[in-house]
Amino acid sequence: MKSPILLSLTLGCGWLFSPEVLVITGNSAGHLGWLALPLLMLTALLVTVCNRNIHNAQQYAPHHNELSLLGQSIGKGAAATLTIASCLPLLILAATALLVTSGYSFNEVFLYWFPNFGFAFLLLGLLSFVQFLPLVQLQRIQLCFVSLAGLGIVILGVYGSLTPAKKLGIIVQQPEQLSAAPLSSALLLLLFAGSNLYHGKKDSFAAVPLIALLVFLPWMFASLAHVDPQRLADSTIPYMTVSRKILGDSGRQIMGIVVIMGSCAAFTGLSLLCREKLSDLSREKMAPPFLAQSGQRWLLPLLIAIATGICMATGLAGDELLETLLRSALLLWLLYYGVLSFSAALALHKELKTLPLPAYIAPLVLVAAFFYMVFSNPHTKEIPGVIIALLTASGCIAAVWLLIAPNRKDTL
Amino acid sequence: MKKLPLLLTLFFFAGTALLFASEVPTMSKDELKSRLGSNTVVILDVRTGRDWISSEFKIEGAVRAPGDKISQWSKNYTKEQTLVLYCA
Repeated sequence: MKSPILLSLTLGCGWLFSPEVLVITGNSAGHLGWLALPLLMLTALLVTVCNRNIHNAQQYAPHHNELSLLGQSIGKGAAATLTIASCLPLLILAATALLVTSGYSFNEVFLYWFPNFGFAFLLLGLLSFVQFLPLVQLQRIQLCFVSLAGLGIVILGVYGSLTPAKKLGIIVQQPEQLSAAPLSSALLLLLFAGSNLYHGKKDSFAAVPLIALLVFLPWMFASLAHVDPQRLADSTIPYMTVSRKILGDSGRQIMGIVVIMGSCAAFTGLSLLCREKLSDLSREKMAPPFLAQSGQRWLLPLLIAIATGICMATGLAGDELLETLLRSALLLWLLYYGVLSFSAALALHKELKTLPLPAYIAPLVLVAAFFYMVFSNPHTKEIPGVIIALLTASGCIAAVWLLIAPNRKDTL
Repeated sequence: MKKLPLLLTLFFFAGTALLFASEVPTMSKDELKSRLGSNTVVILDVRTGRDWISSEFKIEGAVRAPGDKISQWSKNYTKEQTLVLYCA
């Protein structure tokens, strides 16, 4: 993927501007109050350190990709399992959730008479068609999605920060809000799902976290300045509440565009992430050859479109289970990313003999946050079971692929 | 001619939907507005999952009552109360 830095950067930012991230930032701001701002900075710093590990490990050993780094530390079978579990469920579940959310936004903000489900399917068809385009064109379209979504959040965030609706002061959090503070802090890590798709130039591993700070610090500040924290914490669509408070109906319309463009960006970003990971598996002879880059341009987007379409048509979006599944898939990405970064730190240790302490600590914090979120969410006791089920299913796929992949004796 | 089965299917579903819908009394937006706040009117939001999560339009004071758990929540109300169910 050799492309100009801006195009490449937009791939890593795909998930960053999705409605899910807007919900996480809104709810976290509600639970944490002003503390959410330094915690977002801390989260961005953690992700930067983890990115740096992965980036540097590949610099010292250019033949390494993420899969081989993982394989060195946890074994190839486990690496393949974790790779599949971190991207495939996330893509299909996030696509289902985001497209339906976009459908509601379109229906409620722009055209009342247009059925929300109809729009969701229309968008799925359009996005699936876009995935068939050559990569450079796809990246340019992704640039439009990301730019429009990011610009909308920045406009609302900056305008809202400059025109606070209420006197700014210390927010006194309610005890029930404070009890959710550790979970809300950990959830901020999920903002960066899929950011490892960014293949920037040297020393640009901080690019995606920096963009996150530039966009979301004003946004969270504006959210807290305009809406009561309790309302932010409880809302399922805090982004709409904030937008309406900041700019009235125009704010809603801007946010409507952000939601639709952000969903498109997330779908494309996660789709490309998935394609890249499966392609890596195929190149390492841990998956069938048809999953290699040239073959998957047609097949994989088609399979993803069918799977997403089935999930939507069977009513998964109307089931509470989707939220549990999606949260579990996001957590699996976090686990993958933490383990990958720790593996990179170990590989670097072998090369350099010494590493700064944060290089080890940051990935471990991510892994610890994964376990904390798996077992601490009071609303979804099913998450541990779903995680095990997704890992088992991914393990089965990995095992089958290892069996049918060519030259498997070289890799086992 | 190829479109005939599709049209027939559409008419079938539209027809059955109307048939069942005719048995359930409906309330206009204005009528509901005028009765908001009344002790005898209970507004039930029967949407679930993303249908509820993603929607901006939620009537204030509405109680969530998932359609698939009707046997659980229906016990909470008396026949004297007017239950207003909405899903969009």
